[in-house]
Amino acid sequence: MANTETTGTSTGLLMRDGLVRRVGEAVAIGFLVVVAGIVTIIVSTRVDFGLLETIFPRFVDAFVRVLGIVIAASVLSILLGMFIGLGRISTSPITSRITKGYVEFFRGTPLLFQLFVIYFGIPGLWGGAGFPIPNWEIPAAIIGLTLNHSAYVGEAIRGGIDAVPDGQMEGARSLGMSRVMALRQVVFPQALRNALAAIGNDQIILVKDTSLLTVIAVPELMTVFRDVNSTTFQPWTPLIWVCLFYLVITMSMSQLVNAAERRGDPGRDGSLSALAGMFSRRGGGGS
Amino acid sequence: MSRAGLVEFDDVHKYFGETHVLRGIDAAIDETEVVVVIGPSGSGKSTLLRCVNRLEEIQQGAVRIAGQSVTAPDADINRIRQRVGMVFQSFNLFPHMTARENITIGPRKVRDLSATEGEELASELLDRVGLTGQGDSYPNELSGGQQQRVAIARALAMEPEVMLFDEVTSALDPELVGDVLGVMRDLATDGMTMLVVTHEMEFAREVGDRIVLMADGTIVEQDEPERLFTNPRTERAKQFLQRLL
Ligand SMILES: Nc1ncnc2c1ncn2[C@@H]1O[C@H](COP(=O)(O)OP(=O)(O)OP(=O)(O)O)[C@@H](O)[C@H]1O
Ligand SMILES: [Mg+2]
Repeated sequence: MANTETTGTSTGLLMRDGLVRRVGEAVAIGFLVVVAGIVTIIVSTRVDFGLLETIFPRFVDAFVRVLGIVIAASVLSILLGMFIGLGRISTSPITSRITKGYVEFFRGTPLLFQLFVIYFGIPGLWGGAGFPIPNWEIPAAIIGLTLNHSAYVGEAIRGGIDAVPDGQMEGARSLGMSRVMALRQVVFPQALRNALAAIGNDQIILVKDTSLLTVIAVPELMTVFRDVNSTTFQPWTPLIWVCLFYLVITMSMSQLVNAAERRGDPGRDGSLSALAGMFSRRGGGGS
Repeated sequence: MSRAGLVEFDDVHKYFGETHVLRGIDAAIDETEVVVVIGPSGSGKSTLLRCVNRLEEIQQGAVRIAGQSVTAPDADINRIRQRVGMVFQSFNLFPHMTARENITIGPRKVRDLSATEGEELASELLDRVGLTGQGDSYPNELSGGQQQRVAIARALAMEPEVMLFDEVTSALDPELVGDVLGVMRDLATDGMTMLVVTHEMEFAREVGDRIVLMADGTIVEQDEPERLFTNPRTERAKQFLQRLL
């Protein structure tokens, strides 16, 4: 990259760029060596491969549960977030203020607090016993994650809408489209494309937020870790599985976001079909 | 004074907050007439155009199209806008749609045109603006001049009775201006009623039936191009034209 510099006075600069680049590489390689060394030492001295195998099924169990919760909360929070984002830009001050309050509340209080309100607070309304929903921790987890993350998705979508130039709305309105039609056909598909990276970021945080669910008795990955650790006193063995299983979900998710971004790039395949298609019959780009 | 025209401005006043931007505009544009609006920056040319399809609200007076008020509180603005085509300096094409989709989305969504009718309409309009076979291109695959011609086709797709052009060649590289002006000239020849803001004085002189010179939110002078350019009556017009030459 540094060699693309071709102007006359650039020789000194070029050498300095080359130097900076090599120093950077040295630091990065040094870091890798240190980390790899530590990991190797830990894995060879602290990880019990027999135990690793025995506890695997329990982690798979937890992983499947986490995956189910993530998929449900992800879909629901994106859907709800779209309405929050649209509500934020509503021309009705009632709608825009109420959705603003919603966002302020769910971003302004800790997720753990929100989970407690739902998991403990709501059954508490029934008094001591008599709350009719069994295994309340799972619906409570999905509801909590959905409400919390829809606030972030809503803000991402509002930002995406704000980033669409005013001329797009004017161009659509000048053809005789209503505001709602112009939003759906013209502004929203572009807004979604703009918001994609931010939504993706938030959904990865959602995955990691499932680790909090251990506190409301959802048997997820951290729960299994604590169970194993408290009986075997070997933290490193279960920690390996925790790490790998989270990475499986978060890394597939970034792949998904990347693929969606590529598809959504205007100029080739048209609008962001998967998501925009729900709002616009033309969303698929092709006819 | 009120003359009957296809587009009428009747004592139009527009404020942006405290700023009095249009100060009592009276004018009428007849059917098939091409009116070119010129004037210094900030004189209110764009604002005047944007009042015709109510992209701007006015505070006093009225704008009428074929006798029908655009500015009345109960005017069906979406229906009126279908009768007014608008082309912008910055194109405002929809980047997530092909040229063809840009052209057909208006008629498809607003007038329920069928897919096949849409195809035909798009091909016909692409031919008309000299972009035969470019229907599948996305805006970012087209040059500025091509994009602006797609934008003209998009506006024409609604079969408007009047077309508004706001400095549509100002954002273009000089060598691309000619094609766009050519399309506009053809439109004028075909009898389209046009209200054109432009700095292209040659175009104004050749294609315009009338020049309207604005300054500080008022119409300073209006006349046939030849007369206005060679023999301006007001001091303000003389000043402005002097600076052009
Ligand atoms: N949205 C707005 N808010 C506030 N003031 C505005 C707005 N749009 C235009 N104005 C003001 O109104 C006046 C007229 O603007 P307008 O854009 O109509 O001028 P113009 O003749 O088109 O100028 P130009 O040749 O630079 O395009 C200017 O003083 C401008 O600053
Ligand atoms: Mg202007």
